[in-house]
Amino acid sequence: MINRKKILPYLLVSPYVIHFILFVAFPVGFSIVLTFHKWNIISPMEFTGVNNYIRLVNDKTFLKSMGNTIIFLLIHIPLQIIFALFLAEILNQKIKLRGVFRGAFFLPVIVSGVVVTILWQQLYGYDTGLFNRLLVMIGLDKIGWLTDPNIAMASIAVMATWKNVGLYIVLFLVGLQTVPTQYYEAADLEGATHFQKFFKITLPMINPTIFMVMILSTIGGFSLFIEPYIMTGGGPLNSTVSAVLYIYKQGFFYYHMGYAATLGLFFAFIILAVIMIQKKFIEKDH
Amino acid sequence: MKYLLNIITVILLFYVLIGCSSNNKNSRDAILYWCSNNSDEIKFAKIRTDEWNKNNLNDQVKYQAVPEGRSSEEIILAAVVGNTTPDIYSNMWQGDVEAYAQAGVLVALDSLKGFNEFLYERCDSSVVEEIKSLDGHIYQIPWKINPIMLIYNVNLINELGLNGPPKTYSEVFEAAQKFQKDFDGDGYVDRWFGYSEVEVTWWQRFFDFYPLYLAASGGAPLVKNNRAAFNNKYAIEVFAFLQEMYKKNYFSKEKLSARQDVFLSGVSATRFTGPWEIAHAEKFKPKGFEYEYSFMPVPDDHTGPVYTYGDPKNIVIFKTCKDPQAAWNYIKTLINDEGDLKLLSLTNQLPRRKKLNTNPFYSDYFLKNPKMKIFADQSEYVKGTDASPVLKEIFDLISQQYEACVVYGMKTPEQAINDAADAVNLLFLE
Repeated sequence: MINRKKILPYLLVSPYVIHFILFVAFPVGFSIVLTFHKWNIISPMEFTGVNNYIRLVNDKTFLKSMGNTIIFLLIHIPLQIIFALFLAEILNQKIKLRGVFRGAFFLPVIVSGVVVTILWQQLYGYDTGLFNRLLVMIGLDKIGWLTDPNIAMASIAVMATWKNVGLYIVLFLVGLQTVPTQYYEAADLEGATHFQKFFKITLPMINPTIFMVMILSTIGGFSLFIEPYIMTGGGPLNSTVSAVLYIYKQGFFYYHMGYAATLGLFFAFIILAVIMIQKKFIEKDH
Repeated sequence: MKYLLNIITVILLFYVLIGCSSNNKNSRDAILYWCSNNSDEIKFAKIRTDEWNKNNLNDQVKYQAVPEGRSSEEIILAAVVGNTTPDIYSNMWQGDVEAYAQAGVLVALDSLKGFNEFLYERCDSSVVEEIKSLDGHIYQIPWKINPIMLIYNVNLINELGLNGPPKTYSEVFEAAQKFQKDFDGDGYVDRWFGYSEVEVTWWQRFFDFYPLYLAASGGAPLVKNNRAAFNNKYAIEVFAFLQEMYKKNYFSKEKLSARQDVFLSGVSATRFTGPWEIAHAEKFKPKGFEYEYSFMPVPDDHTGPVYTYGDPKNIVIFKTCKDPQAAWNYIKTLINDEGDLKLLSLTNQLPRRKKLNTNPFYSDYFLKNPKMKIFADQSEYVKGTDASPVLKEIFDLISQQYEACVVYGMKTPEQAINDAADAVNLLFLE
């Protein structure tokens, strides 16, 4: 007779275990197997040894896509933190219509990424876009926001910042509200300016929040896909091909499944390494 | 209670299994035909299939629109992977056939009784050569084409004082220079002679580089014997021509497709497009708007007929089909003379058959639809795609160089074509 008490815990965890095996363990394992094969989905898999890894090392477009992703992160993360913190600081004050502003800044977060991207594509239009019309009105030259290879990725980073800043404002607001008010009162008694209070009290006190925002932004930034996919298709001159977009194109555009799996695995390790480094910094800080 | 629940479960399971098996039985009995999911083609499939079923009680056909998805290509791929392909599929892009043939999922039609006779009666030997797979077999029957041509705004071209649309590169440059305007004097062009998507997406080259290359070269292939065959003066001339169009702002570098139709609104005087534009233009054209079609522009020294890309969609039989001969018999009827006339009249798409423009059987249709006549004339000189399992990659590699050279002027046409050819040759070595 099977002991029901012994089986029950296994039964209770079984949904998660089954889900984990089906949707995590098996795909990851299969991806690793795929990296040693050539497979276009419709033909049988062909063992190719480490060819995919050799191709990865020599793939200039993938290196460029990695570089593009890093450029995006370098622009996006500081912008995100500065704007989110600045706006959170303002929205933490007792200003009129504070609730309305908080809601307004959060609105882009809940709007579909595709919709936001298409709207910004119109704003960035070279001949008909609002930004260039404003530039021409004040006597400046038009800018190829999405057509100039040197600017396109920065344009996408600005748009992504606008889209996500609301979420980070909320996180910073939570952080700001945990700072004990006594510190500010003491600083007031000492005659500290607003800037001094911000840099000497607020910033050190919300350091954990800043690190959390950095980690979230980094993970979000590494998964950059919708924006370049819709706005530029990776162009001009591959200047906005993100690593994820490149992996997607290899996998679901050209059906180079083995190579896409290799790129995906490599990229996962890169993200893991970056997160580990960030984690080390956080631990050191604590 | 537990006993009762068990009985109910068993009964339910039994009915589910019976239900599934009876569905399978029905679908297996009839030949399953997937047509395109546009309403005109569904209507076409319904009419032709109903006629067939009336006369062939033993070989019934069930038609169905290809299931909805992002693209029919993806649906077919998913069906192949899932082994749920229909028996017949009638909207197969010619460029996809080679990959499926090599994967062994298509029936070699030339092994079926009566296929070769029908094919040679329908098509010229050049078309037969074009659709032949690399293993020497034929896995597709040419069905329909939508040739890419130059659509032009008659009033705007007349205003330029031209005697009709430009036919050579020099004539295009001359007309484009006259047409280009900066209306508000802000130093930026407000109307362009033509428009072509600057996106690097591989299939965008079907609407600029590829038809122009076929026109310039007299229908030369892009690849031959697993090597790039486009490293020639024609491809260089096309890149140089388009590069000049972008450099001089005769074509807009901006993505204009998201705004009001640039051709119908007079922002551009021409476009490279197919016959599907007729229905669109007739529906949305402003009052007094007149348009016509012309052949693709060619280099000044060009002689001979002007070829273009035909965007061919063909019919295939999948190996999941239990009776390929019966399926073939149905296809033969689907695309016989009457079938092709029905295709024309219901969908305004051209059947790919020889002498379409002079065949008296179709003359009434072309009398009633004069704009389609020029496409019928062009249909004598269209090319599809080369047989290659890596065609998309080839177009992608060309497109990368197209962007660098034509749109951004960062490479000379010679260098860009050479780099594209080298990259394609490397692709074949992998």
